[in-house]
Amino acid sequence: MTANAEAISAFINGAPPGELDDVVKDVKALAGGDDALRSAKPAFQKYNEEQLTSVKLPGGEREAIVSQYTSLGDGRYLDVQSSTSFAFDHVTQKASAPQSYSLDSRHGELVKSLLRSLSTYTAEHYSFCSYSVALTDSDSSIAILIAANKYSPSNFWTGRWRNVYIYKTSGSLSGEIKVDVHYYEDGNVRLSTKKEVEVTVSGSATAPEIVRQISQAEKAYQEELNKGFASLSEGAFKALRRQLPVTRQKASHS
Amino acid sequence: MSTDNQFDSALDLLRRLPPSEISKNLQRLCTIAPRLTEDLLSSVDQPLEARRCKKTGRDYLLCDYNRDGDSWRSPWSNEFEPPIEDDDGGTKPSERVRKMELRMGEGIDVYRELYYEGGISSVYFWDLDDGFAGVVLLKKTTPKNQGESGVWDSIHVFEAVEQGRSAHYKLTSTVILHLRTGGDKLGSLDLGGNMTRQVEQDMPVDDDGSHIVNIGRLVEDMELKMRNMLQEVYFGKAKDVVGDLRSVAALSTTNKVKASQREMISEWNKRDA
Repeated sequence: MTANAEAISAFINGAPPGELDDVVKDVKALAGGDDALRSAKPAFQKYNEEQLTSVKLPGGEREAIVSQYTSLGDGRYLDVQSSTSFAFDHVTQKASAPQSYSLDSRHGELVKSLLRSLSTYTAEHYSFCSYSVALTDSDSSIAILIAANKYSPSNFWTGRWRNVYIYKTSGSLSGEIKVDVHYYEDGNVRLSTKKEVEVTVSGSATAPEIVRQISQAEKAYQEELNKGFASLSEGAFKALRRQLPVTRQKASHS
Repeated sequence: MSTDNQFDSALDLLRRLPPSEISKNLQRLCTIAPRLTEDLLSSVDQPLEARRCKKTGRDYLLCDYNRDGDSWRSPWSNEFEPPIEDDDGGTKPSERVRKMELRMGEGIDVYRELYYEGGISSVYFWDLDDGFAGVVLLKKTTPKNQGESGVWDSIHVFEAVEQGRSAHYKLTSTVILHLRTGGDKLGSLDLGGNMTRQVEQDMPVDDDGSHIVNIGRLVEDMELKMRNMLQEVYFGKAKDVVGDLRSVAALSTTNKVKASQREMISEWNKRDA
């Protein structure tokens, strides 16, 4: 990869939630148009799949999730809930060319049931989110994806909470929770968190059981996260600079 | 595309990309658009590096304002390290401005001890046609404690335009603050970035000592404001956005509570009417 393509790929990779368009606009202005972007094409795909990019399906309100698990190859992705496959443009983040797709798997019933349980669960804890369930290549594990986004560019902040869980029918549930927040009024502040989750479940677990484990793991994590904020505020932040000197009086400067 | 527009695009990009990678991203920008290199390096604040003064053994901070080529001027010895082999030995402030630089440096050293209880500070002044300008730098790193760590960098750049019995001060301040914590239950939490504020003010001047007092007060007031602002953004705003993304409590319950509150308030309003 040329040094330019490497730099551009790093910029794409660093785009905050909901700000890929802005980053692309800046990169175009700096690197001279669309040619430069073409060289960084793999970076766009990696970004969208890792970020669990939510995309509205053509002609509907439903948002599908772009990820390595929902990928069908050749730039097409699958949304099991709506039995649709679609083409995805990684630069513009738009879906097109939907086709009906029927899932052929011995876990078809569990997948359907998981989608129902996820619908109930996410509605209780995420005011806006997309979720998806997909089978991995081997058909022995199921990926469960949740992506919650909130963008408020007029108030200079954006945020994303995303979860990936892999349920192995041999009896394990593992995953990763990531939160990313960007605040950019008079500055650039970024929160970036990552937590690995590992839960034991039986190989014959029902969908409500699996989703209950997910719910518990996320609740425990969010409580830890809130504690982490409080502890940094009282600990490291105060230890760096006092609000007032010990004397409670300002410096004399004479 | 003009260089001006490209410069704006570069700054916009740096306002979006992860602040923890600012130095790497600056290098990348200079690769893509080499003609912006000088402007970017002189206008984008990066975390400060420290060096030990060979003559006095005291630590000082490096920035673009005490740099001449590959050498930096120690504020304690007023000499460039490594030495610059030319007629004047590198650009230094005039005698009067150097005197003020030393006094400000001593004052900020006391200020640093009062507020930071440690860390490193450095002050650099330089001459302007109608006054002088300078930069006040403060840096503190917390020792790692229970998995928590933090780094604070303050960069206060000012201009003082002298107008007889008063001076017009313009101060631009940036604080770069990085906090990190983690553990088995929490995983990793990284919270960092930078914020910038500007202020302009006219203040009376009797002699050069007045400048030291005036600039000291401006910096102190600014840091108080910025510390409050950082606290609000890091522990208020960022945390609120997380709570907006995911609610710990079930939304059906919180929505019910909200609805009954609304109902109660509208009942009261009806009664008052």
